[in-house]
Amino acid sequence: MDYILPYAVNCIDNIQVKEEKNKKRGCAGMNKAFITAVIFLVISASLTGCYDSREIEELAYVMTIGIDKGVTDKLRLTVQFSTMSGPTAAAGGGMGGGGGNGGSQDGGEQDGYTAITMDVPSFFTGIDMINTIVPRKLNFMHTKALVFSEEMAREGIGDYIAPIVRYREIRRTIHVIVCKGSAADFIKENKPFIGTTLSKTMEIMMEGPYDTGFFPHVTLYDIYNNMKSTYRQPVAILGTVNDFKSFKEEGPPWGSGFKTGGDYYAGELPRKGGNKLELFGCAVFNGDKMVGELSGHETRIMMIGRGEFTKGTFTIKDPKKPDLIVPIEVYQEIKPKIKIRFEKDKPVIHLRVFLEGEILAVQSRINYETVGLKPLLEKSLERHIKSELDRLIQKGKDMNIDLLEFGRTAVSHFDTIQEWERFNWLRQFEKAEIYTDVEFALRRTGGLIKSSPIMTREGKK
Amino acid sequence: MIQQGKFGIHEAVSLVTIIIVTKVFFTSPALLIQFTGTANWYATLISAGTALFGFTFIYLLLKDYPGRNLIEIFEIVLGRYIGFIFSGIFSLWFIFIAAAFLREFAEVLRVYVLPLSPLSFIIGMFVFGTTILSFMGLESIVRFAKLSSPVIFIGYISVQFLSWENYEFHRIFPIYGYGIKTTLLHGIARSSAYGEAVILAVFAGSLQGVQHIKKAGYAAIFISGLLISSALLSFTLVFPYTTAQEITSLMYQMTRLIDYGRFVQRLDPIFFFIWNIGTFIAITALFYTGVNIYCHMFRIQDIKPVLIPSNIVLFAAAMIPKDMPIIIMGYVQGTRQYGWIIYFLMPLIVLIISRLRKKKIKKGAVQV
Repeated sequence: MDYILPYAVNCIDNIQVKEEKNKKRGCAGMNKAFITAVIFLVISASLTGCYDSREIEELAYVMTIGIDKGVTDKLRLTVQFSTMSGPTAAAGGGMGGGGGNGGSQDGGEQDGYTAITMDVPSFFTGIDMINTIVPRKLNFMHTKALVFSEEMAREGIGDYIAPIVRYREIRRTIHVIVCKGSAADFIKENKPFIGTTLSKTMEIMMEGPYDTGFFPHVTLYDIYNNMKSTYRQPVAILGTVNDFKSFKEEGPPWGSGFKTGGDYYAGELPRKGGNKLELFGCAVFNGDKMVGELSGHETRIMMIGRGEFTKGTFTIKDPKKPDLIVPIEVYQEIKPKIKIRFEKDKPVIHLRVFLEGEILAVQSRINYETVGLKPLLEKSLERHIKSELDRLIQKGKDMNIDLLEFGRTAVSHFDTIQEWERFNWLRQFEKAEIYTDVEFALRRTGGLIKSSPIMTREGKK
Repeated sequence: MIQQGKFGIHEAVSLVTIIIVTKVFFTSPALLIQFTGTANWYATLISAGTALFGFTFIYLLLKDYPGRNLIEIFEIVLGRYIGFIFSGIFSLWFIFIAAAFLREFAEVLRVYVLPLSPLSFIIGMFVFGTTILSFMGLESIVRFAKLSSPVIFIGYISVQFLSWENYEFHRIFPIYGYGIKTTLLHGIARSSAYGEAVILAVFAGSLQGVQHIKKAGYAAIFISGLLISSALLSFTLVFPYTTAQEITSLMYQMTRLIDYGRFVQRLDPIFFFIWNIGTFIAITALFYTGVNIYCHMFRIQDIKPVLIPSNIVLFAAAMIPKDMPIIIMGYVQGTRQYGWIIYFLMPLIVLIISRLRKKKIKKGAVQV
């Protein structure tokens, strides 16, 4: 309707001019007042509001959608939305939860947010069923995440993603999470953490891949396209509720060795306190079925191989004092170079990865900052990344999943879609012979340009 | 003869380009991807090339009859009765594609934006707008097209530019799509996507001579070809060919994917702006062309009394199709696949007859 107003103004001017002409021509001129009245009547009627407008207070904005296998019906649908009552009023206000026919009831208030879980035959019927017990209409325009239980993901999510993708309210930019355990329980623990807004908490949490690389940035757009792609297969963010059982209060102290920091799967981080929700690693799919999972560290390596890694801290052994560590911030400025050739039907792949980094600490205080010792550290990290890449590629081949998405390069060797589909990259990948090469350059040494020894009575340490 | 007013090359190019390019907002790109796969973005350049070739026939015809428009030439060459039939086909065609376009727009609008509004309300409000603009005449339509063209152009390019984050170069492969032969055949057959340049020949009297029509026609088809190709290339880079062919409005879906952090996202309004204005101009111009030809056919000197009844016909025609699949797979696909017969073959037939008759007359004159 935006164009009507300027038109109306133009139209009236035009009518004036034309009426003059009409009078000169002796034609019956149009009744200016009548036309003007009609135009303004129609415009004012239409400007009072869109035909199907809905006011904000008439809607319940769903933040998270959870899908589990149902008990009394096919699906167990969970929706989490704002009660618009604010954290302080949450205890007494808000909409509360409700139960449905045959569904489980969970009206747990969560500082201005609530979640409703219901057993339903399909996603859309489920929305209608939930709408009957919520004195607002559920709206999905601001939904941030879609959560599938692992059980559901292993059986195949294609049937459930298709209607969601078709639905106009849900944007394809929402994140897709596969959670260990029930999606309903996962959503129950999805609370605002630092601040009071859940949407902001979720948005910032989802930016994690750009800072750490421990889980991928996966949206509905990615997973749906990759599910139907002939080039590659999808992954999803792996999440769970950490019950803090991995944190051991007591026990013998850890020895001199160390873990990389990412050698955990979601839910295994040895921690206590903070948000119980944990996103770590990723779920690997063949089409729409989950076939495996990657730890946080493997996910990082996968992202490095794909060229999607932004930055993250890697901890490696000190080359000269292996019982000590050197944390290095690694970033990927240059995309990996992939060369593929075919020996008959066997793809031979050469992957060359370029990384850059900055020293964060040197426990041994050995001067790796010097031109002479710097290559030692660089080679050490190169070897580490290369061995991890090779290990990941082997893991992918064992699952017959092209984790590093070599299909994106391989497709350029085929002229037509028929040839490409006949070759079936997703199947042929297991035959691939893959060679990796890593180049790492230490660009900066942080705030120190030299590590001086600590002086004690006994001398330099 | 209906007084249409005069306009220049810029206005003409703007109008024809908007009419042609607006198709890219709807279901046509998905259909093209369905047939040509990853080759869609250059298949449309083949269509544009074919349309340029087809437009040459129209230009030659106009050149043979300076000062005459296409409808008058039909009558001169084919006689009153056959010329009347040819003009009638043209008139019906333009009203038909305006109605089909309007219904396609209303359906897509209902799918994405106004799911609760009745179709009659959406189409009715739109027809109200086309009635007002039609009343203001061709000159106003054309000048409005020129006025809107920079805004539409900036919006159109911005959406493609901002989709950069989702571009993946590998999606352009396999470069020949479903094969060169398929691409060529579909590219040539779908030249009708650029056929609306024929409007310039219908309103030949409003432009400053045949050379202006030639320049405007070629420029409009060339610019439209580049704009449509760039949009299709963007779609190809954002969506794999397997999912691109499923999506109702690729441009809208691509706009919804723009997400540069928490501040630059949800840019759908840019899309709606260019979508609504562009479609409004396109439908009004197509409809006005149809009614104008009708008036020529029946020697009606004043188009205005015909406009309101014709707009009611437009409304009714847009309401006729039963459902969206009929619109997409029937009307849209049909007009793209066979529209070249109307746009280019009919003028070519007239050109051949005209040249043969002239040759015969010349021969006869020599013999005498």
